[in-house]
Amino acid sequence: MTKCRISRRRFIQGTASVGAALASMSSFRLLTGSSSAVAEPQQGVTYAQNWCEMCFWKCGLTAKVVNGKVRKLEGQPDCPSNFGKLCAKGNAGVFQLYDPDRLKTPLIRDGERGSGKFRKATWEEAITYVAQKTNELKEKYGPETFSLFCHGSGQDPFIQMMEIMGSPNICVPSYSQCTGSRDIGWALSFGKPVGGKEPVDSQNSKCIMLLGRNIAEALHVGEMQDFVEGVAKGAHVIYVDPRFTKTAAKANQYMMIKPGTDSALLLGMINYIIEKEIYSKDFVENYTYGFDQFKEHVAGYTVEWASEITEIPQEEIIKAAEKLCKAAPRCYVHPGRRLTRYGNDTQFTRIVACLNMLLGNWEVRGGLYRTIGFKYDAPAMIEYDKSHAERADGSGSEEFPLGPKNLGFSNGTIKAIAEQSSPLKGMFIYGCNPLHHHGNTDTVRKAIENTELIVTCEIYMTDTAWYSDVILPESTYLERTEPVITTGRRAGFVQYREKAVDPVFETLGSWDMVNRLLEAMGYENRFMDISEYNRLAFESLGVDEEYMKKNGVFIGNESSPYPVEDYEEEPSFRTPSGKAEFYSNLAEHFSYPPMPSYEENPVPAEGEFRLLFGRISFHTHARTQNNAWLLALHKSEVPLWIHTERAKALGIKDGMQVRLVKEGFKSNPCTARVVDYIHPQAVFLPYGFGHESKGLTRIVGKGARTSDFTSDLTDPISGAAGFHNGFVKIEIA
Amino acid sequence: MSTADKTKKFAMAYIVDRCVDCKACMVACKAEWQVPENDFRTHIDTGIAPAVTERLSMHFLPHQCNHCDHAPCVTVCPTKASHKREDGVVDIDNRKCVGCRYCIPSCPYNARFFNNELGVADKCTFCLPRIYDGLMPACVTTCPGRARVFGDVNDPESEISKALKNAADNRYRVWTLRKDLGTEPNIYYIQK
Ligand code: SF4
Ligand code: SF4
Ligand code: SF4
Repeated sequence: MTKCRISRRRFIQGTASVGAALASMSSFRLLTGSSSAVAEPQQGVTYAQNWCEMCFWKCGLTAKVVNGKVRKLEGQPDCPSNFGKLCAKGNAGVFQLYDPDRLKTPLIRDGERGSGKFRKATWEEAITYVAQKTNELKEKYGPETFSLFCHGSGQDPFIQMMEIMGSPNICVPSYSQCTGSRDIGWALSFGKPVGGKEPVDSQNSKCIMLLGRNIAEALHVGEMQDFVEGVAKGAHVIYVDPRFTKTAAKANQYMMIKPGTDSALLLGMINYIIEKEIYSKDFVENYTYGFDQFKEHVAGYTVEWASEITEIPQEEIIKAAEKLCKAAPRCYVHPGRRLTRYGNDTQFTRIVACLNMLLGNWEVRGGLYRTIGFKYDAPAMIEYDKSHAERADGSGSEEFPLGPKNLGFSNGTIKAIAEQSSPLKGMFIYGCNPLHHHGNTDTVRKAIENTELIVTCEIYMTDTAWYSDVILPESTYLERTEPVITTGRRAGFVQYREKAVDPVFETLGSWDMVNRLLEAMGYENRFMDISEYNRLAFESLGVDEEYMKKNGVFIGNESSPYPVEDYEEEPSFRTPSGKAEFYSNLAEHFSYPPMPSYEENPVPAEGEFRLLFGRISFHTHARTQNNAWLLALHKSEVPLWIHTERAKALGIKDGMQVRLVKEGFKSNPCTARVVDYIHPQAVFLPYGFGHESKGLTRIVGKGARTSDFTSDLTDPISGAAGFHNGFVKIEIA
Repeated sequence: MSTADKTKKFAMAYIVDRCVDCKACMVACKAEWQVPENDFRTHIDTGIAPAVTERLSMHFLPHQCNHCDHAPCVTVCPTKASHKREDGVVDIDNRKCVGCRYCIPSCPYNARFFNNELGVADKCTFCLPRIYDGLMPACVTTCPGRARVFGDVNDPESEISKALKNAADNRYRVWTLRKDLGTEPNIYYIQK
């Protein structure tokens, strides 16, 4: 309460600028009178365009600034990412901006790692320190000694700095920890990855099938809007999850599946669809490859078999298959997100892709649409030579030929650092939190121990920052002017970001920060001035800055996202056969099974639970939990979902404090949520809690950190992680 | 201060099928009105029915001040700080509020709370004066599910009038909360 009072007072001083005497509560009340008349002096109101950085969906927003303070954020009505809307996280960006818990100055470690002892430093000091240390490391161990973990709009300068320093060990963890297996599986099947803005045309769909894709809670505004639109228009929604979620609340058919058996369910459906010949024959005949082999391959996967494995009644499986086929091609099976579950996820995605092939839903309304990008000649922000050295994690190597060298395996790189399979001694972290996002914190701890220099660029004292040597505080998105970006959904569009206010604390944007680092390290390369970059970009994009300042978003490249339907374009696929492949030629070429099979996943032992985790609608990853406005939504409670019967056997009652236990290690307390609507074999924990950093004052020590308990498997094809084979015991705290 | 336009009668409807309990409305409202950290002017309740039906079901019910035509809070307020405006909005005059809190338990919708920072009773104001500036209430503007519809029920062209008419035409279920109390609320619930 007191904290809020401070911000309130600041606001009062801001509005009641007529005199210091007005800066007290009572006079504020006298001044404003009716609550409806919290009058804002309109003369001090300005607006700035931006895109939201509370998650990675990049909703366009306009910040309202009153007398130099950001008061309110609202969605840009025309932005195709969000059409005027913001989620709870997006709305809470204001709190983040003024949060006293933010990192306020550069910090240099001044005690044991993890002791939390840092001394405040000037920018000059911090930059010089980092430059000197990195040059020493480079001298001693060679340029490949550096690794980078980065995620977010400010990641590019860090990536380019790594290239300039001569290291290929750049990781964008969203590949390894989220979408890697899915995108590789999709590329093997359809010839292109799904992409970050899943092109599922929910708004026109007649039947939607989601397997653990919890659209309402792992929420991205645009995807959710389409989904709700589809639901409102009467789409039949099939939702499969061991847990009844808020997305399940919108479903017509909910199937509580035994965790880890999704492949069996889909193979059973596929078998049924092929046997009954209710698939889209025209599409399968003309635009797919390897159907006959596939038919033979799935012959044994009967509905009966699937039912036994998944614990879902046969008639439910048949119903789902029939509903989809009846709606085809205006239907889809969602390719999934954060498909890092059991360590064999690429093949699971292949099954999802094959089922979609049977539905013939390619680039038509209600199925999978074509993302329209915005192609243009982007000016070069900086000139440099790319490092061609081998990556330490094996991404793109003989072992993982499909692993993208530019994104890397963050789990693989952490492992390489932990094991020192090559001398990786300098770690840079931008907007990432390996202690939370890696499957196993022990490995991360080892990696931290083996690293001589850890530099973290962040806005908060995250757990990983807590173990760093130097912390470079970044300005939040509302304090940054940045190069324009282009994004693609049903149209290609350009987004503009202009700082709404000057930095509240002594922070810098990453471009500025890295420019200074490069200079201090003695490199010649410099980033172009951002306004100059934008000027050149606008010329090439065919839009002027005035327009962007006013609207924030410019929609160009408007061709149909349903070319097969609208232009009667032949469906085309960038696969070796030029067709959608049931039988993957590329997989075969690399000696992977060309067709997906059912693989059994390990099951919890007696008395154990499989730990499932995921997002709740008002937090992103492990980065928003300390936001007081968002915390208030769940009263700072971290729920652990557990089935009624299992809870009873353990003497756990709803609302009790419980801990997760694995190999003697215990989590901080969580609040038991005893429910009937989770599979008895599993417990569920929302991701992103259990912070140990004391710099996150509101949430430190609350709840469990999933990475202390999850598995850290590696998918053999994509190289991405698998988290859901972590087994835990639960005990009363 | 926006003077009440007598010709108008403001109301809100929630199309409950479209609510996903994302709570964007709660945070948008908090930001707009600088509602203290741990208080909210609007809430979403979750109702789950696992035991009652064979099929699991879950419903989300947004709620806030119902801007009742016969508002108990207005009746009990000794200073007339709580008052019903001619445009239908139930408002609190902070200058007149003495913080006696009679209104808080009197509200059958649990819509009021005590704002410790201002020392007055607080609640939803239908976003006066936003709505006189031609904007929608903050919660409506942000709602990603487009579950919230707001407007002037006296104007047949307003979004709310259209939503209510559409619901009637299609025989959707339309209701208000605790009709039995005779408070005549102005928040409608619509369900297919
Ligand atoms: S989905 Fe929410 S958090 Fe993510 S960009 Fe949009 S408003 Fe921001
Ligand atoms: S913003 Fe809309 S969809 Fe989200 S909880 Fe509020 S009413 Fe429901
Ligand atoms: S109408 Fe305005 S004050 Fe009322 S709940 Fe919505 S945002 Fe809050």
